[in-house]
Amino acid sequence: MKFNLAAFRPALTGFLVVVALALTGAAVRPFEEPAWQFVKSKQPALKLDSLQGALGQGVTVGLLGGFRAIVADFFWIKTNAVWEDNDLPKTQTFIKLVTAIDPRPLYFWQNGSRMIAYDMPNWRITEEGGYDVVPQARQRKIDEQQSAVALNYLNEAFGHHPDAPLLHVEIANVYLNRLKDTASAAEAYRRAALQPDAPYYAGRIYAELLRRLGRNAEAYAWLKQLYRTLPKEADAAKGITPFQVEAAMAPVVLERIRELEGELNILELQAFRP
Amino acid sequence: MNTAFPFPLSGRSVPFSLGRLGIVAGNTFLEAVRQKLFNFLLLLAVALVASAQLFREFNFGSSELKFISDFGFGAMVFFGSTLTIAATAQLFFSEIENRTALTILAKPIWRTEFIFGKFLGVFAVVGVFCALTTILLLGLLYHRETALMTANPEAFEAGRIIHYGDLVLMGVLQWLKFGVLAAFTLLIASFSNTNLYTVVMGFFVLVICHLQYLARDAYGSVASLPLRLLVQLLGYIFPNFQVFNLADQIGIGVGIDAAVFLRVAGYALIYIAVIGALAVYSFRNREI
Amino acid sequence: MTPNTPASAIEITGLTKDFSLNLRGVKLRAVENLTLTVPQGEVFGLLGPNGSGKSTTIKIILGLLEPTVGECKVFGVPSGRVDSRLNVGYLPEAPYFYRYLSGEELVRFYARICGVPKKVLKDRVREVIDWVGLTGASHRRVGTYSKGMLQRIGLAQALVHDPRLIILDEPTAGVDPVGSAEISELILKLKKQGKTVLITSHLLAQIEDICDRVAILDKGKLIVEGAVNDLVGLRDRQSLIVDSLPPAELDELRGWLAARGHVLNAVEQPRTRLDQLFLSKVSRPKKEGDSQ
Repeated sequence: MKFNLAAFRPALTGFLVVVALALTGAAVRPFEEPAWQFVKSKQPALKLDSLQGALGQGVTVGLLGGFRAIVADFFWIKTNAVWEDNDLPKTQTFIKLVTAIDPRPLYFWQNGSRMIAYDMPNWRITEEGGYDVVPQARQRKIDEQQSAVALNYLNEAFGHHPDAPLLHVEIANVYLNRLKDTASAAEAYRRAALQPDAPYYAGRIYAELLRRLGRNAEAYAWLKQLYRTLPKEADAAKGITPFQVEAAMAPVVLERIRELEGELNILELQAFRP
Repeated sequence: MNTAFPFPLSGRSVPFSLGRLGIVAGNTFLEAVRQKLFNFLLLLAVALVASAQLFREFNFGSSELKFISDFGFGAMVFFGSTLTIAATAQLFFSEIENRTALTILAKPIWRTEFIFGKFLGVFAVVGVFCALTTILLLGLLYHRETALMTANPEAFEAGRIIHYGDLVLMGVLQWLKFGVLAAFTLLIASFSNTNLYTVVMGFFVLVICHLQYLARDAYGSVASLPLRLLVQLLGYIFPNFQVFNLADQIGIGVGIDAAVFLRVAGYALIYIAVIGALAVYSFRNREI
Repeated sequence: MTPNTPASAIEITGLTKDFSLNLRGVKLRAVENLTLTVPQGEVFGLLGPNGSGKSTTIKIILGLLEPTVGECKVFGVPSGRVDSRLNVGYLPEAPYFYRYLSGEELVRFYARICGVPKKVLKDRVREVIDWVGLTGASHRRVGTYSKGMLQRIGLAQALVHDPRLIILDEPTAGVDPVGSAEISELILKLKKQGKTVLITSHLLAQIEDICDRVAILDKGKLIVEGAVNDLVGLRDRQSLIVDSLPPAELDELRGWLAARGHVLNAVEQPRTRLDQLFLSKVSRPKKEGDSQ
């Protein structure tokens, strides 16, 4: 059989193109690798096995293709839809699905835990006949069960957001509002307040809870220390905004210090001097 | 007609000219504009504003901004990729099908100038798309952030949470990624016979480039040697589009590292140059 | 013009062009061993039925295709080189130009591609548009042009850089006789300016009127080539056209010729050509072209 060399030209061109692309890929790999490692470090590993059952193939490809944030957003909107229907199993499944898809936004963890700890007990009690019918002990039991789920969920979040102050705040609120455990709530607020980017209110609430627990001396010592760290006036050079000054509420903290000085009978000479 | 023509064109050599390349690029851009390719931007704008309105219904608080940003960039990636592939294939094949390629290439012009001119025209079209979408997104975010700061000041203790400069850099990175995609589509068009084939292959390449990282991450765990080599080869042939995906979480809370940005931008430019050169090589062998 | 300008505008030597159909060696031979010279300053007709290799030959001259064997030079420069096209203007068969451009924008675009200097660009564009008679329609989108107008704007873009060789591929295909006649007139004008014109057509009557030389291709091979007059003129015959003669006078004339050793071969009623009749009866559109 006679071969026509000219006819092989397109195939040869194609082959050369593929070879050139592969060589380019190999040559630029060392240049691209650091950037890729940076991007990868920002993307927690996808646990596909736990997701594949819940998602269709198309969504899975979307996730792999780098559209995690938007897929998670979609499922969060879906979560809100089933939440509006007070559908407990579905809401719980979707909450976990959303953070499995994209654990990076703190918002999902915060709001998911709130749904679990605050809304779901309401749904369960309503389903069992309402607050007037369900005995107090049973209500308490339901609160405890849901709080345990929420606290577990929030502790899982620390795996993605180590020591995030807002997660400590969420935990504190569950202890305080659902479990009425002021001591644990205070401890969680303390942890929140100790983080570098903690909200200013965490430190104030910690002191308030200490007072509630009768630990006034501890509260006094804490507030004095806290006051020194608070911004008193805006300073663009130091990056202190009027918002921060307003949120830090230094005058209010000083006021509490004075109250505690009264309660602790601290002499004027020994009083805190800002 | 004036027979004593005032400029002698004969006897000159014809060096490669950026001017001619620019003329082809300008004409390609003009064609896109007059074909009303930008009209769908209006639709996109309406969709973005409408979805932003939808997020307000959910009362997401300051996280509403994350949703706007995610959907904005999602729309930019989705519509931008579609626009890049469709516009490249259309603007190339309109030249072939309408035989205008014949009239242009019968002039003293290099095929390199023609291909890179086409590329630059499409790149400009996609650039305008990215710029307008980014500006729209920034405007939307700024508007909502201002409103949320008034309504919900404790979430903004440290001032604005959106890094607007980083969002602009993200827009630039998306544009560069579309540049690589346009070059790839042009490479396919340079040997393909139909517009449809080019578009289908363009999307195929888009998906592979987005999933390329799976091949390079997985090849070590593939047991059979031939399959492992094939997977590794795939990882080298296609560029990694995930490396441009700094959009997740960037702009809200997390900043872009300048060194990473420059590296990714350089990566895109290298690929544009190489794939563009391959498109020229393939097109030079094409019989028109 | 370079000092050692060759005498011929196009010089094709031993040109063969094959198109591969598949990998097993099946190929289509579009042009076979063609040797052809187009002298400068002439109107040269390249004739042949569809599929005879005319368009392939033109594409090789323009550097759009590479010869499989042989060579092709334009003003002495191999046609694969970009600079061989500096002096060439080309109007493809049934061109569809950028429909979204106006006539003027279109011609300006091609002028800039050809490197027409900026300072003369505007005047030059207007000049060629005027020359092809489209001044009134120059601001209209090309998409709204009729076929005849498209051919004329195509001619304008082919001429805008004042090339010495103009290649017209089926310039009158699909154009009505009026448009066709106008294009013929333009071609003759080009010839008067000393341009070389290579034209392909299968409207042989039109070619006969305007071409100095023709070549006929069939199945990729050159069948006939030469000056039109040499090819179609019957050298040993002459025709005399006189007023109508009564039969007696005709017999007398026959006798007069016979006495001198000549034969009266035919007595016919001369006819005007149909296209000439058409042109004399149909009103020609105004030169601006905007009445079409």
